[in-house]
Order: sequence, then C-alpha cells, then structure tokens
Amino acid sequence: MSEKEQEILQKLREELGDRIIQVQTTRNEKLLIQVKIGAHKDAIRKLLNEDRNAGVSAITGVDLGDVISIMYHIRVHGDVITIKVEVPKENAKTTTICDIIPGADFHEREVSDLFGVTFEGHPNPKRLILPDDWPQNIFPLRKDVETANLIRTLDSRKSLYNEKNVAEGENVKIVFGPQHPALIEPEMFSLEVDGEIVKRVEPRIGYVHRGIEKATEQRTYLQNIYLVERICGICNACHAACFCQTVEEIMGLNIPARAKYLRTIILELNRIHSHMLLLGHAGTEIGYETFFHYMWRDREPIMDVVEMLTGNRVLASFITIGGVRRDIDEKMIPKIKEKLAILKNKLPFYKNLFENDPTIKMRTKNVGILSRKDALKLCVVGPVARGSGVKMDVRKDEPYAAYGEIPFNMVTYDDGDSWARLMVRLDEISEGLDIIEYALENLPSGPYRVRAPRVVPAGEAIDRVEAPRGELFYYIKSNNTAYPERVKVRTPTFSNIRSFVNIAEGSNIADIPASLVSLDPCFSCTDR
Amino acid sequence: MLHFNSGACNACDIEVVALLSPRYDIERFGILLEPSPRHADVLLVTGAVTRQCADRLKRIYEQMPEPKFVVAIGACACSGGVFEGNYNVLGGADKVIPVDVYIPGCPPKPEAIIDGVLKLLKKSRKGKNRNE
Repeated sequence: MSEKEQEILQKLREELGDRIIQVQTTRNEKLLIQVKIGAHKDAIRKLLNEDRNAGVSAITGVDLGDVISIMYHIRVHGDVITIKVEVPKENAKTTTICDIIPGADFHEREVSDLFGVTFEGHPNPKRLILPDDWPQNIFPLRKDVETANLIRTLDSRKSLYNEKNVAEGENVKIVFGPQHPALIEPEMFSLEVDGEIVKRVEPRIGYVHRGIEKATEQRTYLQNIYLVERICGICNACHAACFCQTVEEIMGLNIPARAKYLRTIILELNRIHSHMLLLGHAGTEIGYETFFHYMWRDREPIMDVVEMLTGNRVLASFITIGGVRRDIDEKMIPKIKEKLAILKNKLPFYKNLFENDPTIKMRTKNVGILSRKDALKLCVVGPVARGSGVKMDVRKDEPYAAYGEIPFNMVTYDDGDSWARLMVRLDEISEGLDIIEYALENLPSGPYRVRAPRVVPAGEAIDRVEAPRGELFYYIKSNNTAYPERVKVRTPTFSNIRSFVNIAEGSNIADIPASLVSLDPCFSCTDR
Repeated sequence: MLHFNSGACNACDIEVVALLSPRYDIERFGILLEPSPRHADVLLVTGAVTRQCADRLKRIYEQMPEPKFVVAIGACACSGGVFEGNYNVLGGADKVIPVDVYIPGCPPKPEAIIDGVLKLLKKSRKGKNRNE
C-alpha cells in the first residue's frame, strides 16, 4: 500500500468509523474496503472529493452464495480503490450512486441485469444488456444459474423473436440501428427529434451480448485467453494482455523482460491499426470517402507487420500467461521497420489535412462537444477523456509491460469536440510508431516466456491496460482450480457510451453519425 | 451486398471493410456495399447470432428482394464458433436464415472472403439456387 493510500484509508476511517467492516488488499496490493450497506455512498463521496479527476472505473458483482458482493472500483489519483458492500441474495438491493456520480448509470444497470440487484433511486432503471424478452427473475451470472438449464428454459419459449418496437410512442422517433450504414455493429439508439434537432436519446445496447463473463467460468485459464481475445477483434491483444497480467498478479509470476517488450510492440500495433480504422471510418461518416481509402490503404502495412509477428492479420493470439507465444526473428526487424516507415512518412500529410482541410473542419470542429466537467462527471476514459483535456492514461498512471521504460508523450487536447478526439488518435499513431521503434532497438535478450502452472491459487486481483479506446479493466477471482471463479471485464466503450447521450442531445441530426464515430464505440466490447 | 453483424467480435467485420479498401478493392468484381437491405442481393453475416439480434437478422433477410443469397463469414457465423453454448447465443447464422456459402476462419483473410463471394457469383450465374 502506498503512502497516499494509507492517507486516504485514514481519512475514510475517520469519516466512516465502525461502518467499515474490513480492509483488505488484492494480490497486487490494491485496496479493498468492505463497508456496511448504505455506507458505500459516503465512502465513495469521500473518495471523489479526494481527487478532482476521480471517477467510477467499474462496478463488479460477485455471487458469494448467500450474498452478492457489489464492488465499486473508484479511480483515485490514477490508482483503483474498491469499496465493497454485501447484500443478501434474497432481497438484493442498495442505493444508487448516480446522484453523486452520473457516470455510474450504465455500470449499475449492468449489475442489475446480470445479478438482479436493485439500485434504489436510479434515474432510468431499464434493461440494458440482456434481450428485451428475457424472463423477469433469471439473472445469468448468479452461480445457481446453470448455463445448460438456462438455455433449455430460454429455448422452450414460444418464439425466439421478440425484439421490442421502440418506434412507438407520441413523439417523432428516429431509430438509429441496429442495422444502419453508419454502424458496423448492431446497437440501437432511438432519437426523439424536433425538426432537425435531437431532443432525447435512448441507447439500447446488448445486441452483441454473448455472455462471455459466464462462459469464462466454464473454461480453463488457458482456454480463456482465446475467449477474451474474441470479446473484441480490434483490441484483442489488449484483452489478452489484461487477462494474462491479472492472472500473473494472482500467481505472483514475473515475466521476462523480453516478453514485456514484445507485449508492448503488439499492444502498440493494436492501437495504431485501431486508430487508423477509426479515422478512416470517421472519413466516411463526414462524407469524405477518399480519406477513408487513404487511411485504409496505409493501414495495410501495419496489418502485414501483425501477420509477420503473430501469423494472423487480426486476432493475434500472441500474448499468453507467462509471456508471449512466439519470439521475434532478428531478420524480421529491418522488414518491420521498413513497413512502419511507409506509414510514418504519410503522417505529416494527414496532420496537415486535419488542420487545414475545410471539409474535415466543418464537420468536426465545434461538433459533439463534451466539456471537461462533463467528461469527469460521466467517467469517460481514453481518447474521449484526453480530447476533453483530462490527463488520464494507464500507460503513464500505472505502467505495465515495458511502458515504464519507454519514453513517450501523453496526447491531450482541450477542445472537447469531435475534431479534438480525432486529433488525439492521429497524434497517438505517431507516438505509437516511436514506441515500437524504441522497443525494437532496445529489445532485451533472454527468454520470451516462462512456464506457468495451470492451477491458479485462490485470490483476487484487479488490473488495467490502456486499450485503443481507453482504460480496460479486469477483475479476476480465482479459487485454487484451473477454472476462474469470476472474471469481470469493463471495457472502455462501456464507460464512454453514456456520454453519447449528453453529446447528442441538442445537436443536429446530421451530426449524429459523426459524433458517435468520434467516440470510437466498440459494441462487441461493450456487450461482451 | 449488405453486411450485418449479428453478434461478432469485430474481427470479421474489419476484414469485410478491408475488402472495400484499395488493396483488396472488391468493386473491381462489380460488388458494391449497399446501406439498405432493400437494395442488396447478397447478405454477409458475421458473428454468432445472439438472442437479441435473431429477430433483426430475420427481418433484414425478409426485406431483401429475391433472388437473394447469404454468405456466413467466420467460424461464429458458420457454427457459433467459440461462443457456442453460451446462454445468449443461438448458434450460427443458419439457425435463423438459410445460408448459401460458409467461409470459415477466425477471422478469414480478405482473400478468402473474396474467394467465397466469387464462388457464390459463379453459382448464381449458372442459375442455380441453394436447393440444387
């Protein structure tokens, strides 16, 4: 425990007194404070007052038999402090924290869907992630729900097709999605409009909900690496890295220096290809298709490098528990550098385009504004937060892999509009290229992996990784078997998508696709 | 053609978008990505079908004019893939709509997708439908 954490804990003790039940730390020294029901709100308020950049990182539910433990992971001074309450399973309810931190909205609704916990006083306690016709009293992540039985119950119903028609109602509603040319993924936003102006937005996620968190409990840790990679095909290496890091923390396993550098390389390649894909996509949404073709043409060399390194273009399956699965070949290094140089030479052209092109400026400048205040209130992460001037980057706050040893700059813009969010990504591409170059030049020698045991000792750990879209959060609880007890994944878009409601309300309908894309939403991540 | 993601992890989807980009340029075969099901002849489905998406996938298929064809891209759309047996997943695309071409892979390379689509084109030119 750091001095800062000691100090915060002391303040919490003064504030809450005997309402603190227990103070623990996870395997990787993160504070876990259990408080009495009802005291969590005071504790969280105290933590939020500690740091003006503080926010909710995630809310995890864990079924412990008779009780459900609800963990509020609060980001304070770049680290995570967890406040825990245990509610009885029979009458699972607690009070909402949305009134003190609105960014908790979707997090609470998710726990409510999956564990059947009622958050009293929640402003909009609707179904979020499970299908519209899901039975009222089945909560899939509870331990007494057995997957095979659940599937039997669900399949025995009369019809498999019961999507709710949201277009009904008095006001004019425009249904945006789940199949829409601006959305590559299926997700629905119903927009209430008055003329050209959007008055109200109701996001409905859950179209890609595959129940991955439950599925992880039925697979071994090794199998789970491949499963979590398929939470999101775009940032697959980040999911694998975060999962493996968390498991390594529980095991107390140190990975070789070479593996750390190789992980950094693949993570940065992931970031670059993801940002380029987004910038190209943003090009189509603002009606600039040439830009899309340019970006995707220049993205191909990156895909070639990923293929060279891992054997696959998209899903890398490169990172594993204890290191990485393949070593890099000395002969490969000059080839990789050559490919990266192709992109590097093109970057000034794009930078100039973004700064001076009238089409891009007209469609993105002063559009979709998210102020710094709102960004903090809604607990957004990654390039969305950095585009609103919030200095937040897990690579700097809590360095993992080799980020602690490699020099790079955190990119922030203060404008808070679509343009700033796109610029953050453009600049991060060039930072990423520099990181890879540095890592290739300073690649330590030695082994690239250590063997890890299949059985993981009982314990819990929290870990984070800066994915292309922002802070990716994993909580893993193990039980001394080869299968995890609980894996909680909070993906960056899950934190960011709530802010779309604030951005869209009051804006012009024609700007909706462009502002949505500037958040770089990844719905397969969001829904899991 | 029309692309619909019924529960994919995005890997297949970005490879489908890569088809349109200059390196693969699927337009040279006369194939265009259409925004509306009413203008499309071929439906590219990616991902396992989730319970919430099943309804929509069926409706999109029904909105397409005849003759129409379905290409299932990736292991998940072919069979449910790694998500087979999860509570919110029905399985492959053929659980909901008829499929003409299966392109396995996780994700299949763009070349494989082009090959699959061209096989479909050849088949349709011969005037065969899926029952022959």
